[in-house]
Amino acid sequence: MQGIYTSVTKIRRQVFAAVAKLAYEHDEYSSIEEIPYQIIPGEVATYRNSVFVERAIIGERLRLAMGLPLRRADEHSALSKGVEEAAVPKKFFSAPLVNVISFACNACPTNSYEVSNNCRGCLAHPCTSVCPVKAISIVNGKSHIDKEKCVRCGRCQQACPYDAIVHYDRPCAAACGMDAIGSDELGRAKIDQEKCVSCGQCIVNCPFGAIADKSEIFQIIQSIKQGDKVCAAIAPSFAGQLGPLATTEKLHEAFKILGFDDVVEVALGADKGAVAEAHHYAHAVPDKQPFLATSCCPSWSVLAKRTLPDLVECVSESDTPMIETAKVIKKRNPNTKVVFVGPCVAKKLEATRKLTAGYIDFVITFEELMGMFVAKGVEFGDLNEEQPLDDASSDGRGYAVAGGVADAIVNNVKAFYPDKEVLVDRAEGLKDCKKMLMLAKAGKRNGYLLEGMACPGGCIGGAGTLMPLNKAAAAVKQYQKSSPYNLAKDNPNIDE
Amino acid sequence: MKKLRIEVCSGSECVMMGSMDIIEAIEGLKQVKQQLKLRAQIEIVPCKCLGPCKNENLAPVVRINDELITQATGDIVMSKIIAAIKD
Ligand code: FES
Repeated sequence: MQGIYTSVTKIRRQVFAAVAKLAYEHDEYSSIEEIPYQIIPGEVATYRNSVFVERAIIGERLRLAMGLPLRRADEHSALSKGVEEAAVPKKFFSAPLVNVISFACNACPTNSYEVSNNCRGCLAHPCTSVCPVKAISIVNGKSHIDKEKCVRCGRCQQACPYDAIVHYDRPCAAACGMDAIGSDELGRAKIDQEKCVSCGQCIVNCPFGAIADKSEIFQIIQSIKQGDKVCAAIAPSFAGQLGPLATTEKLHEAFKILGFDDVVEVALGADKGAVAEAHHYAHAVPDKQPFLATSCCPSWSVLAKRTLPDLVECVSESDTPMIETAKVIKKRNPNTKVVFVGPCVAKKLEATRKLTAGYIDFVITFEELMGMFVAKGVEFGDLNEEQPLDDASSDGRGYAVAGGVADAIVNNVKAFYPDKEVLVDRAEGLKDCKKMLMLAKAGKRNGYLLEGMACPGGCIGGAGTLMPLNKAAAAVKQYQKSSPYNLAKDNPNIDE
Repeated sequence: MKKLRIEVCSGSECVMMGSMDIIEAIEGLKQVKQQLKLRAQIEIVPCKCLGPCKNENLAPVVRINDELITQATGDIVMSKIIAAIKD
């Protein structure tokens, strides 16, 4: 469902725009109570069976978008409770980052096999013959699965000549590569925060829009309003995300209208990382360490470190492109606040870690950024193409798409060490990443460079994106081509 | 052969409200032209803010020839296109 625009997408974005507008235009925020009525007008429900439930859900979404915790459903509490405290020009939200709005959850049944209407009650009924636990019997002339006995091996599904048996899973759980989604006492989804790596895939895969993450739009705008110098560090996957009129040459001006001072490409930090990792690979693999795993995707690197506790040193130590870029910005001007703008939910968490917290002040997604543009009435069609982006090479910009990180490192190894051969394996989606890590654990990836991406398609498939995958991939290609430098190592800005 | 010019608003509000996904839908329609027996040339033009978004809740906006469609969705636009080609 990720990448398809639905009512769920619409509501999520309306909330971001509304919060941005509230923050930009007001100094006192009690009018937040009115926003659910603006987004869901009238007396008749549009999306669910009750207009009151719809508004209550908008209310919770608004709170999360302001960085506030969800309210308890069994206690009275005003929507605006805590809003004034949240109006601070610094990091505000606390864990958990990704939340299930329980009363919006449909309590979908978990992983099961069901017999559909396609069953013709055939004579052969091979489903019963292949079932290892005798869970299938013929009831009223059709196959019937005894849920108590079923072990969900799926053999009946494969055996049925009519495709009559369907496998069914909760969309959130199916999208979760960490098996982090369980159920509460009412059968509704509940996230095991110990397991969750905040990739955000459940957020964009829940068809009921019941899962949302916290946002920092509200606090960023506070910071802008109090006159702080704020700089956007924009991830390379931004290409195309803001629509066809938002060319890179207009970006500086557009961010100025939002109140930012400057925009720097995170692909610059990616260039630095690609060069560092190229040297690292050439010197250390396989003599000093069996393989090298990339570290730019935070969900993947957490997964890798958890899966291979004895091999953590194989997960690249180089700072992520986000941090490298922030370091450059802070060096140029130590008083600048850095806002990482990206496709990623997990980066919000990465930025709260002790080691990184000093560099990144805020993190928002492209979707949230778009809400800010709408709130401020920024029209790319009316802006002039004034200042091209020229911080980064084609290599660094390619980090946005699955395979791009490995490509960049390989290109630079080849340039520095023409005789060194590089073995590459890569995976996208945390489930496949896990499989790759198990192979590495078993010693089957020795000598390799391993690239992992938590989101299908790479960063362009992140939970905070707006464009369909193929459009985004094409735009990134274009953006890569427009760089004056091909190789990361040829980018003069990396010495800064 | 009939020519159809479809302007899809690419202003900020419309992009946020999914106008790029409408472009996807129209491009998808081109791929099933054969099955639908559609004989027409469809030109998609992303354009500047067409204006209606300034009134509440009218985005996204699409213009087919001269007809303005507000609160457009992929399915509405596809059926309008098919109707426009067939008559
Ligand atoms: S942005 Fe489309 S009508 Fe204004």
